[in-house]
Amino acid sequence: MKSLSRLLDVGLEQLTALVYRMGEVAEKTIDISIKGFMEGKDVTREVRELSDFLVPRTVEIEDKAFELIVKYQPVASDLRIINSYMKIAYDFERYVRYAWDISFTHKKLGLNNCAAWGSIEQLMEKVSEMVNKSVKALKHHDVELAKTLAETEKEVDEIFFNYIDQLAASTMETKRAMCNLLVARFLERIADHTTYIAEAIVYIDTGEKITLR
Amino acid sequence: MSKMASEDKMQSNGLSAWFGSKQVLKDINLTIKANSVTAIIGPSGCGKSTLIRCFNRMHELTPNAKIEGKVLLDGENIYADHVDPVLIRRRVGMVFQKPNPFPTMSIYDNVAAGLKLTGVKKGKNLDDIVRQSLEKAHLWDEVKDDLKKSGTSISGGQQQRLCIARAIALQPEVILMDEPCSALDPIATAKIEELIVSLKRDYTVVVVTHNMQQAARVSDFTAFLYLGQLVEYGETTSVFEKPKSELTEKYITGKFG
Repeated sequence: MKSLSRLLDVGLEQLTALVYRMGEVAEKTIDISIKGFMEGKDVTREVRELSDFLVPRTVEIEDKAFELIVKYQPVASDLRIINSYMKIAYDFERYVRYAWDISFTHKKLGLNNCAAWGSIEQLMEKVSEMVNKSVKALKHHDVELAKTLAETEKEVDEIFFNYIDQLAASTMETKRAMCNLLVARFLERIADHTTYIAEAIVYIDTGEKITLR
Repeated sequence: MSKMASEDKMQSNGLSAWFGSKQVLKDINLTIKANSVTAIIGPSGCGKSTLIRCFNRMHELTPNAKIEGKVLLDGENIYADHVDPVLIRRRVGMVFQKPNPFPTMSIYDNVAAGLKLTGVKKGKNLDDIVRQSLEKAHLWDEVKDDLKKSGTSISGGQQQRLCIARAIALQPEVILMDEPCSALDPIATAKIEELIVSLKRDYTVVVVTHNMQQAARVSDFTAFLYLGQLVEYGETTSVFEKPKSELTEKYITGKFG
């Protein structure tokens, strides 16, 4: 049976390139915000610039997806890819939003008042790894790698809830406690979004809608 | 899908068909649910039309054609020795690709023709059936003042609905449609599609189509045929969202055909 090249494929390639680019930028933005927090640096300007680049891409992806649906009425794996890339684009937007929240909170409460405390570093490492895996799993449509995020997300939740207890029991200065708590919360939310992306990757490949949390 | 769609109306069991020595259907096992629309899709020459022609014993009208296996209608094998094929074709009507109203007959007579052959006499009863059939075919309002005009004087889309009315007049249980919109423009196609969906309230509909989007729009179940074999059958949404077979995936996404 001869394979035909389809007009839809050109559009799908453009859509894929856009989503992959968003993933790279989102991962970079989170890395910058985490590093800024750990090193006590103000990185709001860099994060804002990347955010300003990335957020309009979500609309661009939505427009492209609608164009492909209108023009080609895709079905099966084509439709699953388009539907999932729209969702993933939103998740990348959320990555960047939380990266901004981390850097903004850090600056707002005072760079000198926000020294990292307790398990926050462990949380940052886990979440950073999850973000990296989510982008990698997307690029390779790697369902097995995507599924590993479920386990790490449970670990992040456990660390986060223990962290709240530890913070509540501490006699730390209010601003430092607030800063660490908020950043921990933003990280926990990023971890949630990595699993949404993982679910979308599984859906693209299998058509099954699963929950990885 | 209607509430009755869980009941089986027709079944083919081990159905194979030939034209002379050429086998065109291979061991087809397919269930048609009552009061639903089932779409048969597949590339040209895969056996779609032959399959539905086996569903009302039209296949055997072709010289050198033969079948093996069973086709059950309400559990009874329509190919059993004692079964009258004419009665089967009355219970299982057929609408063809090109509208084919009887050219010398009026709109009224086109609808009434089959009834007259079965002994229904002129009069109010016949008038009522003609009107009801045209209403069910969504054509009455457009032709009610022109019933005496020739059946070929109306548009192609109207002619196709007239053929559907002609089939309905015989009060079939199943209506088979062989690419009923392929000769129609988009507006006429949309009307036929609306009609197909509304028909399942009273009838079981099987429609052969080359148009994937049409199958997705109008049908509750979809069967994909390839080289005479049934590759996949399932609920339409499922077949078009996550087909089980890679062959189905390739066909419906246009990667071959």
